[in-house]
Amino acid sequence: MNPYVLMILMSSLGLGTTLTFSSSHWILAWMGLEINTLAIVPLMAQQHHPRAVEATTKYFLIQAAAAAMILFTSTTNAWISGQWDVTGMPGPATSTAMMFALALKIGLAPMHFWLPEVLQGLDLLTGLILSTWQKLAPMALIIQTTQTTDPLILTSLGIASSLIGGWSGLNQTQLRKILAYSSIAHMGWMIIVIQYAPQLTLIALGTYIFMTSAAFLTLKVLSATKINTLTTTWPKSPILAAIATLVMLSLGGLPPLTGFMPKWLILQELTKQDLPATATIMALTALLSLFFYLRLCHAMTLTTSPNTINSAPHWRVQTTQNSLPLTISVTVTMGLLPLTPAILMLTT
Amino acid sequence: MAVSRTTLKSLYGVCGVVYRQPLLFPSSLKCASIQITRSKFERDYQRPGQPPDTRWPWQMINFDFSKGVESVRKHFGLLKDEFFQRWIGPEGKPIIEHMLEQTRVVWEFRGPESLNEWIVSSDQEIGGRSVAYVSLGKNNTTCLLYGTLSSTPPRDGETRYSGYCSMRSKPPKASFDRKKHYDWSSFNTLHLRIRGDGRPWMINVSAETYFSHQRDDIYSYFLYTRGGPYWQDVKIPFSKFFLSSRGRIQDSQHPLWLDKINTIGFTLGDKADGPFQLEIDFIGLNNDCAHTEEFAYELYKKNP
Repeated sequence: MNPYVLMILMSSLGLGTTLTFSSSHWILAWMGLEINTLAIVPLMAQQHHPRAVEATTKYFLIQAAAAAMILFTSTTNAWISGQWDVTGMPGPATSTAMMFALALKIGLAPMHFWLPEVLQGLDLLTGLILSTWQKLAPMALIIQTTQTTDPLILTSLGIASSLIGGWSGLNQTQLRKILAYSSIAHMGWMIIVIQYAPQLTLIALGTYIFMTSAAFLTLKVLSATKINTLTTTWPKSPILAAIATLVMLSLGGLPPLTGFMPKWLILQELTKQDLPATATIMALTALLSLFFYLRLCHAMTLTTSPNTINSAPHWRVQTTQNSLPLTISVTVTMGLLPLTPAILMLTT
Repeated sequence: MAVSRTTLKSLYGVCGVVYRQPLLFPSSLKCASIQITRSKFERDYQRPGQPPDTRWPWQMINFDFSKGVESVRKHFGLLKDEFFQRWIGPEGKPIIEHMLEQTRVVWEFRGPESLNEWIVSSDQEIGGRSVAYVSLGKNNTTCLLYGTLSSTPPRDGETRYSGYCSMRSKPPKASFDRKKHYDWSSFNTLHLRIRGDGRPWMINVSAETYFSHQRDDIYSYFLYTRGGPYWQDVKIPFSKFFLSSRGRIQDSQHPLWLDKINTIGFTLGDKADGPFQLEIDFIGLNNDCAHTEEFAYELYKKNP
């Protein structure tokens, strides 16, 4: 892509999210979301492949519908309550509608059906932006509006997302769809605790962004889009095969990796709030997601591709791709658990 | 007095221009005689080689509870299979089998029911004179596509070229006639075992599309047959398939994505009038690890 066009699109992406972060008026927040949507559309369709254009069209329609709902709900709220403040949504109808609109934006179940198909049609880098950066602005709005939302809706969205993300990802062989269902499940974990401790939602979101970035960047280095390609990782980059295993286990929430931190803190908070049943259900749904992460680990490290390679395995492979973002995200994904008290201090 | 449709059809030539004009909405008109003027394209699919269905519409009604029961049993059976297949693995196979799979036979012709998965058509739909038939070959182990090609265009004043025959697989259907797709992403080569008569055929693969203007998008490649009594093993990498729409090769080419394939077809249109024959043993897929090409066309940067 032309570097000037890329610069405009990237800066628009940054502008949209920042605008939504810094706004207390619904119109400005909505404007930030729309700028984000419009900026990512050319990035998604830059390949001009029919599937990429299909993914772009579906994404645009979904995001536009959600943004229209947000605008409609905020206007109705302004009409009823006389104020446009993002935190002030007293009516149950408006707060519920707003929550569903924002859930559609980030792909929470049951408004998740678009996410796997859209991610499947994109290349890995654009999929990474969609899974990470595009979640920030709607999550900021969700955090600000949860005080007035019915707790039952939030709990239902959380449990449904975690369940559906875990179950639907079980039989997938396409890696992008697996990461889409992983995203849905992680969003479920973030939503379940948002009404009790929003700072844990922020911690979960932050760790999710690093873990997903590590996963996507790993797949980009390996040029892998399906499970069968992962079986040939060991001759390409043995170190990456080992590290990617740890990234997957971190996504699954196993100690002593970073991914354990949000799950542990969320389960602790749910237990403190006298919700042992919810905590148990969430822990059990994490097992579903862990199954398909383990399957990816198994494919990468515990299997040998049925086709033998004719050359000796490479030693000290020099990659031509930029490996710094991968290095940073992998380091964060693996080693942040001991810093849990410091992270908690920073977010409370 | 009972008037048969064939009698009315003979009157059709006598009655003149009024009945010859194709109708835009034939279903909105109740008169049975005018329905004869519906072109072959608008009527239900008539398999070549079968006699035409000349029954009146009310005679075609076959209200039978057993049909309904059979249909319910079939669709709920498919639904039950889909439900329990998920417990085994992707596409009903354990994941280890999916990962180890290097070859797969998708279509092989081992009985009369295998021919029901294919639709044969020719330019008779547009008024041409080619005929094509499909039957089982010797020992019921192969599929024989045969017929006669005629490139005489139909005399309708607007068609200039004619002369094609094709055989296309039916799109896969899940329970309750929902769309299903073939996932061929583990493979990169199409492997056919065929025996032709020296004519050049075209293999057409159609993938799932989203927009209506992509409805006729087909990925094609050539299949040159050798002729003679010997079987031919043809391996065509999917990277060689080029995109065409309604027979016109597109300027902007894209590789074929193998995760949502709908149909595969064989077309003959080599402008050589006369009989043709193509015998197919099986159609399969192969993962050729030595083939690393991703796409063979338009690799240069457009609008640099």
